[in-house]
Amino acid sequence: MAKPADLLQGTLDLLILQTLEPGPLHGVGIADRIEQATHGVFVVGPGSLFPALHRLADKGWIEGKWGELESGRRAKFYSLTPPGRAQLTREKRGWQKVRTAMSQVLGEET
Amino acid sequence: MGVKRYLLRLLSRRRFEEDLEQEIQSHFETLIERRTARGESIQEARRAVRVEFESGEQVKEKVRDAWFGAVLEATLRDIQYGTRALRKSPVFTLIAVLTLALGIGANTAIFSLLNAVLLRDLPVRSPGQLVLFGPGAWVGSTETFPNGSWQLFSYPFFREFRDKNQAFSGIAAVDSILLEPHARIAGGGSMEKVQVELVSGSYFQALGVEPALGRVLTDGDDRTPGGHPVAVASYSWWNRRFSRDPGVLGINLTINSTVYTVVGVAPREFFGITVGQSPDLWIPLAMEKQVSPGWNGLEDRRFQSLYIIGRRKPGVGAAQASANTNLLFKQILREYAGPKPTAKDLESIRRARIDLTPASKGLARLRRQFSVSLWILMVVVALVLLIACANVANLLLVRAAGRRREFAVRMSIGATRGRLIRQLLVESGLLGMAGGALGVMLSWGASRSLLRMVSPNSQALPIDVAPDARILGFTLVVAVLTVLLSGLTPAFQATGLKLSSSLNEGRGLVGVSRNLLSRGIVVGQVSLSLMLLAGASLFLRSLANLANVDTGFDKTNVSITAIDPIAAGYRVDARLESMMTQVEERVAAIPGVEEASFVFSTFGGGWTAPATVPGRPKSDDDPDVFHNIVGPGYLRLMKIPILFGRALSPRDNAASRKVAVVTEAMARAYFPGVSPIGRSFSLGNNPEWQNLEVVGVTKDVKFVGLKQNAMPVAFYPHAQHGMFLGNLFVRRKGNSKTLTQEIRNAVHAVDPNLPVSEADSLAEVVDGTTTKQRLVAQLSTAFGLLAAFLSCIGIYGVVSYEITRRTNEFGIRMALGAARAHIFRVVIAETARLVLTGAALGLVFALVSGRWVQSQLYGLKSYDPLSIGGALIAMAAVALLAAYLPALRAARIDPMAALRCE
Repeated sequence: MAKPADLLQGTLDLLILQTLEPGPLHGVGIADRIEQATHGVFVVGPGSLFPALHRLADKGWIEGKWGELESGRRAKFYSLTPPGRAQLTREKRGWQKVRTAMSQVLGEET
Repeated sequence: MGVKRYLLRLLSRRRFEEDLEQEIQSHFETLIERRTARGESIQEARRAVRVEFESGEQVKEKVRDAWFGAVLEATLRDIQYGTRALRKSPVFTLIAVLTLALGIGANTAIFSLLNAVLLRDLPVRSPGQLVLFGPGAWVGSTETFPNGSWQLFSYPFFREFRDKNQAFSGIAAVDSILLEPHARIAGGGSMEKVQVELVSGSYFQALGVEPALGRVLTDGDDRTPGGHPVAVASYSWWNRRFSRDPGVLGINLTINSTVYTVVGVAPREFFGITVGQSPDLWIPLAMEKQVSPGWNGLEDRRFQSLYIIGRRKPGVGAAQASANTNLLFKQILREYAGPKPTAKDLESIRRARIDLTPASKGLARLRRQFSVSLWILMVVVALVLLIACANVANLLLVRAAGRRREFAVRMSIGATRGRLIRQLLVESGLLGMAGGALGVMLSWGASRSLLRMVSPNSQALPIDVAPDARILGFTLVVAVLTVLLSGLTPAFQATGLKLSSSLNEGRGLVGVSRNLLSRGIVVGQVSLSLMLLAGASLFLRSLANLANVDTGFDKTNVSITAIDPIAAGYRVDARLESMMTQVEERVAAIPGVEEASFVFSTFGGGWTAPATVPGRPKSDDDPDVFHNIVGPGYLRLMKIPILFGRALSPRDNAASRKVAVVTEAMARAYFPGVSPIGRSFSLGNNPEWQNLEVVGVTKDVKFVGLKQNAMPVAFYPHAQHGMFLGNLFVRRKGNSKTLTQEIRNAVHAVDPNLPVSEADSLAEVVDGTTTKQRLVAQLSTAFGLLAAFLSCIGIYGVVSYEITRRTNEFGIRMALGAARAHIFRVVIAETARLVLTGAALGLVFALVSGRWVQSQLYGLKSYDPLSIGGALIAMAAVALLAAYLPALRAARIDPMAALRCE
């Protein structure tokens, strides 16, 4: 199983924040959305997803609330907090820089 | 992570776990549901999910790691930082840790004693079920049936009550007097003093105490009077005397010619039911007459000398037990009154009652004596700790102020305020831990000295004050409170800063609020210290007043030797009297000895009975007379002055008329307006004590205590009243080291079999009655001085710090022409203002709290101006002394250097 978080520290956190930008989602929804968005490159198992969710909640970037699924099952829905939104912007910018830098290096090689 | 979240997390761990469990459960079920919706069977779906992902437990473990791992890691890192930061300023750390150790140690030590004396339950099964019949305040024996609450009982009463009662699952009787006969152990050569508690056979079962070795006493050991020569040894005696040799079982002990067999050893923690006593042996009450010749109470319902303790049956409440007890009690009393009770009998039966007293902590003797003192001391040490905390808080404030730039830098590179607060709290936590650990060590040693201080004589009371779980728990709570109290404010204060100004700040600007805070702390310290010093001087002066009380006799240079004629086989007859006379003569003849006399009562208690004077009507207001039976030289030995008539003389003997010498108070009460010389009086109906002629009157003497007013006392010659007297008073001229041995030799020259041992001197016995006052006076003085000393450190610290901060100001002032003396005066005047504010506050505290200790004072009022004024002057003097050095330093500032610093 792919473990994206190992590839680059903070990648999974950034992915989760990004996934939550449009609105609240529960754990399964987040995992699905990441899988779809990355065309199956990142498959996020609960063993990585939950620690990451709790880490983010702990930093105050997201918060979880209990709600109901369509099936009627209770699930915890996570949403971005204002500091989380700020963090997302900051991280995106950081990521942008890294990507530009990386592609410059790699682009020269190719 | 903020401090609040951090604490919340540790506190709400269970809720967190439940929440996580539900969340993961829901997640997995959603995954499974999705597969079943695609047509998979539920088993297949479950297996597939299980194969694809980790189990729920593993996920939870990872989340937990993410959470608590972070907490743990952060904590370890904080501790590392903290240790490093503290190690960088060793002087600060040393002072802070020592201050806290003294404060915490004092609290732990006093609490250890308070715990042992006031709080700890008896080490027996379900102590909460135990009740004592009556308050258990009397010790000894009485012949009268009380007209109200009963507290001493006869053996026949105990037996009857035990057999008929419904409310108790066990009932035991214990003799109120701890006996101290001499015993020959295992056929050894010499006799040794042993402490014997006479108990009913039911004693151990009723208390639920199992033997450590052998067996305990049973009902079968308490049937036939004189027929059960068995003994159970206490663990401490077994340890002391036999080094815990199991061979102690079956050993023979000879007490007054009866041979007892040791059948068992009581468990280590068991000391009986009286805190502060520790009998060596428990012997069945059936052996009363053999252990204590002259006592014959087994069949005598008027010989009341026993405590009764009962264990309530499960489900029997206090009210029900009391109702049952009193019902049965009155039935038994009615039986005593016979078939035709008089109206007076019925009236006294109606009034008689037994108050059941909770006995989970045992008999209350020490508790009654020391509870107020111990609580006073507990408050005192709590205040000392408060002052210590204030000191550490002030030190931390000063230190934090010195680290403002460090904090500002760290905050500017992203550290949150919570992070810094946590860091600072961890530092104070480390200080608290170190202080607490050191404090426990200090208190361990201190509580033993304390124990010696509360002991009325040179032998320490047998009380266990070693730290137990409760004491360690107490210390932990105190240490945590200390950390929060001293660390919280400085931490918030230090981190609540405006970044830009702090980064730019030099020494020019004064952080006003911080200064107000530490000045406030100093004011508080001074006020509390003054209050403690005022209290200490009140207690000291009370003690001095007690020490200067005119006892009516000269207590100095009188040694007391304990002699046990019973153990040597004497009976009350002419041989006993002849031995006593010979011993007195021989001991008095030793060079360096002025006089020797046997006495019945030493000091602090005695035998009382009202007197009757022919022709004088009896009244209920007649004061009790204290009776002392003594040798012919006694009054001269005690230097009690004779006012009229003559002293006792060797010519007052069995053949001559029975005589007495009485005190002025006795003469006033029983022979008002006439000369008592030549008149006579009697005591009760005992033929032995009729028609006693008064031959002399002495000045008043104290008899039971120093606080007591003049009470009637009468002295009788032992030659006219056969009785065992166990104490030999000896007045010596100087200090002779060999005197003890010479007295022993003189006694053995009369009879080599007499057991002789040196007891406490008369001065020690008299001083022993003020143990409680001395304890409070000495400790409150020590703690008052400690408080003042700590406050001085506080003042010194704050003044020094301010001078450092105002170096510029002083430099400018001097450059503008201010004299050095002026600067010195400015600093001293500012300190004086602080000290005076604190002192004014402290004065109010002292006056208000003084009312609570008035009952503990003797010969002065709680607002005694001399005591409080003295404390005020002492506090002001040491406070100004503490400001003197820094002020001197301020005056020596070099203006050029000061200005260049900026």
